[in-house]
Amino acid sequence: MAGKSGRTISATPEKALRKAVLSWEGMLLVLFVVVNIFCKCISPVYTFTNVLREMPKYLTEIFLLFPMAYILLMGEIDISVGSIVCLAATISCIAGNAGVPFIGVLAIGLLTGTVCGMINGLLTVKFRELPTMIITLGTQIVFRGIAEIVLGDGGSISLSNADGFRAIAGKIGPFPYMFFIVLLCAVIFTVIAEKRVFGRGLYAIGSNSRTAFYSGIRVNRMLFTAYTVMGLMAGVSALFLTSATYGANTTTGKGFEMDAIAMAVFGGISTAGGKGKLIGGIISAFIIVCLRVGLGQINMNPQVILIILGALLICAVLLPNIVQSINMRKASKAKA
Amino acid sequence: MKKKVLSVILSAAMAATLLAGCGGGGQEAAAPAADASAAQEEAPAEDAAPAADDAAEAPAAGAGTYALVTKSAGNPFNEKVAEGFQSAVDEMGGTAVIQHPESATADAQITVIQSLISQGVDSICIAANDENALQAALEEAAAAGIKVCSVDSTVNVASRSVHVNQAGVTEIGQCLMDAVYDIAGGEGQWAIVSATSQAANQNAWIDAMKSIMESDSKYANLELVEVAYGDDEPQKSTDVTQALLTNYPDLKVICAPTTVGIAAAAKVLQDQGSSVKLTGLGLPSEMAEYIGDDDAHSCPYMFLWNPVDLGYLGAYTSAALVSGEITGAAGDKYAAGTMGDYEIVTAGDSGTEVILGAPFKFDPSNIEEWKSVY
Amino acid sequence: MEKKSLWKKITGSREASLVIVLVVLCIVVTIKSPAFMSVQNIMEILKNNAVIMIMSLGMLCVLLIGGIDISITSTLAFAGMTIGMMYKYSVIGSTFLGFVIATAMGAVCGFIIGLIIAYGKVMPIIATMGFMYIYRGLAYLVAQDQWAGADALGSFKDFALNNTLGFGVLNNVIVVAVVCYIIFFVILKWTKFGRSIYAVGSNAEAAEISGINVAAIKTAVYTIMGTLAGLSGALATSVYASAQPNMQTSKEMDVIAACVIGGVSMNGGRGSVAGALLGALVLSVIAKALPLVGINAIAQNTVKGVIIVVVIVLNVLTQRMMDKANLEKREM
Repeated sequence: MAGKSGRTISATPEKALRKAVLSWEGMLLVLFVVVNIFCKCISPVYTFTNVLREMPKYLTEIFLLFPMAYILLMGEIDISVGSIVCLAATISCIAGNAGVPFIGVLAIGLLTGTVCGMINGLLTVKFRELPTMIITLGTQIVFRGIAEIVLGDGGSISLSNADGFRAIAGKIGPFPYMFFIVLLCAVIFTVIAEKRVFGRGLYAIGSNSRTAFYSGIRVNRMLFTAYTVMGLMAGVSALFLTSATYGANTTTGKGFEMDAIAMAVFGGISTAGGKGKLIGGIISAFIIVCLRVGLGQINMNPQVILIILGALLICAVLLPNIVQSINMRKASKAKA
Repeated sequence: MKKKVLSVILSAAMAATLLAGCGGGGQEAAAPAADASAAQEEAPAEDAAPAADDAAEAPAAGAGTYALVTKSAGNPFNEKVAEGFQSAVDEMGGTAVIQHPESATADAQITVIQSLISQGVDSICIAANDENALQAALEEAAAAGIKVCSVDSTVNVASRSVHVNQAGVTEIGQCLMDAVYDIAGGEGQWAIVSATSQAANQNAWIDAMKSIMESDSKYANLELVEVAYGDDEPQKSTDVTQALLTNYPDLKVICAPTTVGIAAAAKVLQDQGSSVKLTGLGLPSEMAEYIGDDDAHSCPYMFLWNPVDLGYLGAYTSAALVSGEITGAAGDKYAAGTMGDYEIVTAGDSGTEVILGAPFKFDPSNIEEWKSVY
Repeated sequence: MEKKSLWKKITGSREASLVIVLVVLCIVVTIKSPAFMSVQNIMEILKNNAVIMIMSLGMLCVLLIGGIDISITSTLAFAGMTIGMMYKYSVIGSTFLGFVIATAMGAVCGFIIGLIIAYGKVMPIIATMGFMYIYRGLAYLVAQDQWAGADALGSFKDFALNNTLGFGVLNNVIVVAVVCYIIFFVILKWTKFGRSIYAVGSNAEAAEISGINVAAIKTAVYTIMGTLAGLSGALATSVYASAQPNMQTSKEMDVIAACVIGGVSMNGGRGSVAGALLGALVLSVIAKALPLVGINAIAQNTVKGVIIVVVIVLNVLTQRMMDKANLEKREM
């Protein structure tokens, strides 16, 4: 069934309300509230304005979450996105410094990302025997490598005229423009996953790629599309990242892929494919952002924050599994 | 249908909690412990641009909150800078906020700067991982009334009031160049093992060495064969050092102006009993094993500055900026606690800087004494 | 006719074709830089990459059961950093004890991961991603912003300099790697445990039905991986005479790449010790050769990446050719 949540706490919830609360997404929402209250308690400066102001850096990663969720739902993975972000940021900065008008710079950034995504997609489709993990591991090294070559000895480029990028980093009230674009993307990607044929295809491929193929779903085409969209969104992410740094360097976007995967998985999307909901990923992304902002404000050692996030990630997958196995054991006992 | 309702409820609830969870607390924080920083912390929350009257309500000299952002965690050099910074702030009776970003990238530092703006610190003293990438974040900090200076590794002119430099770039270049000249005996091939190719400090020093070498005929018989990058990773630094030895059998001296690179290179040379000698910039505690005049040791002498003093000076510079004693213009003078008086001068990048002093030479006579210090 | 069968044999075996790749690579590099083929240089390659080679063995087992482990270099740093600090503050002095502690720590780290994957049914990529952050963070916490340098490590670093275990010919570190390879070759080829690993990877359900305790095998494999990572932590600390909390960051991808180049399937069930060794060697030779043949430092990553992609694609293409050839034979 399309859109079936990957995790539940209760095996057979009877009522709709109970179902909503006990669904993974419901739990996440509760957790989101808890995290916000927690952060409010530990940090006196955890205010709405401050959280929104600290958010843009994290929002750039959320752009990657949406297509990553698609790719994970199909049972594939893409660990090259961080490198695509780096390459797209680099190329658009070079274009900007070469005097290309700002609109052209944006187009070049998006195009670079899209082309990288298409290369991933093409390799994936042409060599289906190869796990996408290893394909994108290879392209991860190559894309960042190309950026390193282009950046040359300094390893860093800064925009000679950052006016355009300054403009897209602007705000409406306390809300950065990027916030609305993230919301818009969230709606579009969620609607496609839940309501469109493409979305059902994602789940079908993730559950069983071969069955999906025989039932008429154009698996290769969907894979190619998903990876291309991934590249495009990496381009979007790169442009917004550039608006915060007025430049690019060889470490731009490092680790973004892991953050995006963590957000998706924490949100209930299974890396085995076929299970989970995008809305869960979106809520979990905001949980992680709020937690990082709050813990950052009390100057917690960032390594400890990473330990906490790592533990949360494992628990998020582990706990439902344990509860489920206990429930199953109970059920089998009851039968006996 | 049920799903649609559910997701609408979910997103509505989410937006509501976002507003309620973070928005409510405008008033709460001002009440406890009427220290100056709490009042300031509120400022950015209510109004994005307080700045103007900030100087007027600034606390008595030294009692503010001073932040230090290092390049990364897990590096003893940064830890020593932090130690000096902390002790200076303690002397002044202020509060020090020391943040090591999670990795040595500009991205991670931007996150930290944003958090410090929220906390409403009085000043940020930062060792930059990328000269230009922090500009937007630091401009935002300045707009929020926070004084910004850089230490150790500079940010660009637009982002800072003043740079606290460990030693003048040309001075370091001259020191290293003279060391290479001395150790090589005035002629022969030499090579550089640097950090990453984008490390601003290392690149500036290497450029300084190159221009010194070209400008003075004294160095005419020295040949710089290669600048290799070990990326501040022990393994890569080891590999590139070994490659240098293989590729240039006549090599006489390696100069490694980076603490990781020099330790890795020293180990390679010493293990192989190579006749190639080493100099550069290194931590005494890391290099004690390799420093000596005889053939059994690979490094006759090397240089560094005192990171504790560097942090100390950074703190006093921050405090002087916050109190309005200096603005960061060339010619400004201020006192830095037990270290005496300092004057701001014009830097090579047309900004301003204050220079800690000349690099310090570590040789067999003093290494035992210093290796336990840092 | 004979020629054809020999050709078939070579293309038919991944290991053989990798040997050819390796030999060609070495010849090309030697022509450009004759010093490459010196005994000293080869020993350096083996010593500097012993850590990657040893971890490739563990990764081979993990990939064989259809899993993955991206936490290994964090485990390595945690174990290496811990013993580094122990030497620094003179908690321990004996070299042997250092190795025992690091290896044991690695085993425990791996065992925890194994339990969570095998009994908690967490996807390997997620479980090990979590532990990648956790163990790396612990390494930083143990370090407390200090390094254990050459001076602090005392006699421990001499282990990587001496040839005592190698009868005065081979470096200790290389000996450790060779011993590991022999042990794993024997285990995977001739023991019940080894066959169980292949069985679980080929078809976990079938293995379960035929009486193999799949969960126990999985736990054991991740424990083995952790043990090797812990051992590598001690080795790396000794080889570079330095323990730093960020040591070997993101080298796990090199280890995975080494296995995949060596023909180990990421879907489980297919791969050999020889393949892992050859894959690791190809990567080490490339890393060593690039600066020697004068390829600019900034282009090295690209070259490495392109070679990885080319080799895995060639692997697929030869496999397809083989399958096609087999089919044709059947039709006749």
